[in-house]
Amino acid sequence: MLTVAMLALGAWLALVKAPPEREMGDVYRIMYAHVPLVQMALLAATINCACSVVYLIRASWRTDSLAEASAEVGLVFAVLGTALGSIFGRPTWGVYWAWDPRLTSMAIFIVAYAGYLALRRFVDDPEKRAVWSAVAGIVIAVDVPIVYFSVRWWKSLHQVQSSTKTVDPAIYWPLRANILAYFLLFIVFLGIRYAIAHAARRRETTVPEPAGSLSRAVAS
Amino acid sequence: MVLAAVGEGRIQGGWEYVRAAYGIAWTGMTLYAISLWVRWPRGERQ
Repeated sequence: MLTVAMLALGAWLALVKAPPEREMGDVYRIMYAHVPLVQMALLAATINCACSVVYLIRASWRTDSLAEASAEVGLVFAVLGTALGSIFGRPTWGVYWAWDPRLTSMAIFIVAYAGYLALRRFVDDPEKRAVWSAVAGIVIAVDVPIVYFSVRWWKSLHQVQSSTKTVDPAIYWPLRANILAYFLLFIVFLGIRYAIAHAARRRETTVPEPAGSLSRAVAS
Repeated sequence: MVLAAVGEGRIQGGWEYVRAAYGIAWTGMTLYAISLWVRWPRGERQ
């Protein structure tokens, strides 16, 4: 309920309370959903990478389940965030899509995590699946800093990250409220998806492994 | 002066883009929430 209330408050701040932007007018209100969605996608990818590293060091179905959950939730947020960015681009840039560094690296992000989830579906052995997807999770996480810094490293249609020094408080406080609301939604989605993934692991591995046994199994 | 680098004028209208964007975002999140609800492991110990 808190999450729904925060999302409703965030939407009201974004669509009603926040003033029009100096140049973009009302179109910029898309930013209040676009930015949090993409931020949560990058957070999910970071969690996925961390779980992948931890799994290879000390294997556990819990980290594997969290890796799976974060990849799927992150992919949903990334697709929606990119779709909103595309709609935002039409009135502000004149095009829905351009192969500029930010958009291209984000497209790679989406394809990579879709491939990661496909890999998880194609491998039946849960231990092989966990190891292979952990390696894939670490490799594709290379794209996360590229997405974030692409607007600074290369010339891009996309603006660089704003800060409290460059944005009026009447605009950034609604943004912060929306980031919090989408973060709560992200946590809810991640928790539920984790429970689903962990239940699936339990079904696949009928006997829960004692601590450390999976590590030895993977190492061997 | 920083303001000199900023263009003049403002995009007029554009609410149709805002409506489309929020419609896609909310529809997408609702559908994903439904997919999680459908896949929820009922009758299993969590």
